[in-house]
Amino acid sequence: MADAVTELFSAPLTFNWTLSFRCNFSCSHCYSRDEQAEELPTADILRIIDILAEKQVPFINFGGGEPLIRDDLFEIADYATGKGLNVSMNSNGWLVDTAAANRLRACGFKSVGISIDSAEAALHDDFRNMPGSFDRAVAALDHLRRAGVRTTMSSVISRINYRNFRDLLDLARAHGVAQVYLHNFKCSGRGLKNREDLDLSPEEWKAFYVEALQVKQETTDLLISFDDPVISSLPGYDEKSLVSGSSCGKLSLHMRPNGDITPCGFIPLVVGNILKDDFDTLWYDSPILKKMRNKEASGKCMDCGAFEKCLGGCTARAFAVTGEFNQPDPHCWK
Amino acid sequence: MASSFDPETLGGKITQGRNRLLKKLLRNPDIVWRVEKRREAEIVKALEAGEDVSDKGSVILIISGMMHQLNLVGGKIWSLCDGQRSLGDLIEALAVEFEVERDELAEDVEGFVDDLLQRGWLKHG
Ligand code: SF4
Repeated sequence: MADAVTELFSAPLTFNWTLSFRCNFSCSHCYSRDEQAEELPTADILRIIDILAEKQVPFINFGGGEPLIRDDLFEIADYATGKGLNVSMNSNGWLVDTAAANRLRACGFKSVGISIDSAEAALHDDFRNMPGSFDRAVAALDHLRRAGVRTTMSSVISRINYRNFRDLLDLARAHGVAQVYLHNFKCSGRGLKNREDLDLSPEEWKAFYVEALQVKQETTDLLISFDDPVISSLPGYDEKSLVSGSSCGKLSLHMRPNGDITPCGFIPLVVGNILKDDFDTLWYDSPILKKMRNKEASGKCMDCGAFEKCLGGCTARAFAVTGEFNQPDPHCWK
Repeated sequence: MASSFDPETLGGKITQGRNRLLKKLLRNPDIVWRVEKRREAEIVKALEAGEDVSDKGSVILIISGMMHQLNLVGGKIWSLCDGQRSLGDLIEALAVEFEVERDELAEDVEGFVDDLLQRGWLKHG
């Protein structure tokens, strides 16, 4: 089913861009830590920014790997900002001290997200295999706020935090965070390997979302965001989203360190390469993207009244677990 | 209390009206927007074929994480509000492009611009 609204979009609204798979951490749920790809020199990255600016992609979000591992990040962001792009990133915060925060501000970052998995320092450190990482992540939020950069907090929901997600919200409040992303657990990379230990059961997901949506409704001092299409199947769910189902391949694309484009960071299928292929051809004609945009109900989705909004849930998760886009999301509780 | 016939009040209104026509209009710089060129081309084609295209969006605006769409005429107006043009200039420019009765056009453009000014999407530059 194609989305009338995005059918003829000329380009994605957001490029999630992994500049490097390298990282100073080694987290249990990381989707990309075991991946490798050649990294592009700065000049090629600036060429890519020219392409994105020409295609009028308004937002780029650097992820990874740790974006600050590349010491040309500031130069890249500065260039992108100069071209009118809105730049943000996700970081583990380890390398964000006062000086880095000021530089991030100076090169025009619209917001910086810091990943925090638990409001308990020991649990966060253990999960990230990095002693002291909680304190540095929290300090990063403070450095950024003092430098005048809008901050967000990203928490991947898993067994270690789903019962205590309110503590994460309190932590965010205490450090002046504008928005908290409670990300759904993706079964990719290490996340898939460690799935048994980390992932919730479908019933637990349902209970979590019912509670978290209630908290979101009652919260006025903090923006709370989810990125899980399967939520739309909850009775009474009426939040407007720009598209039905996964937004990947419709509103956003992901780019690897070598310029290869994938629908999202969690689907390891390459659509083409931004430096080697014509972007419009990839965007409009890629068979992979077309399949993502035209999901067909299969299995239990066929009789599900929520399919129109949910479109089978998270395509990346269905693909990781079953090898097929059109299978129902393994998190689905129906 | 000034009556509605009070010459001063009336004069005030006229001056304000003239000013309104002359003031330059500027898009709120915090709003991210894009002309959807391929869609625009489709809409122009549909318009030429006599279809009603008033609810078809050709310009998208992203405001606080929400997407809004402007139709062909709205999108043209939006694109023209670059801080160099006034309401009067917009009406002139659109009169050349669209075959609509002049007064009707002026009223529509003014209403639309007023709405955007009220929303804070446009301001007087
Ligand atoms: S059955 Fe399919 S469409 Fe229905 S809620 Fe589950 S994943 Fe979504």
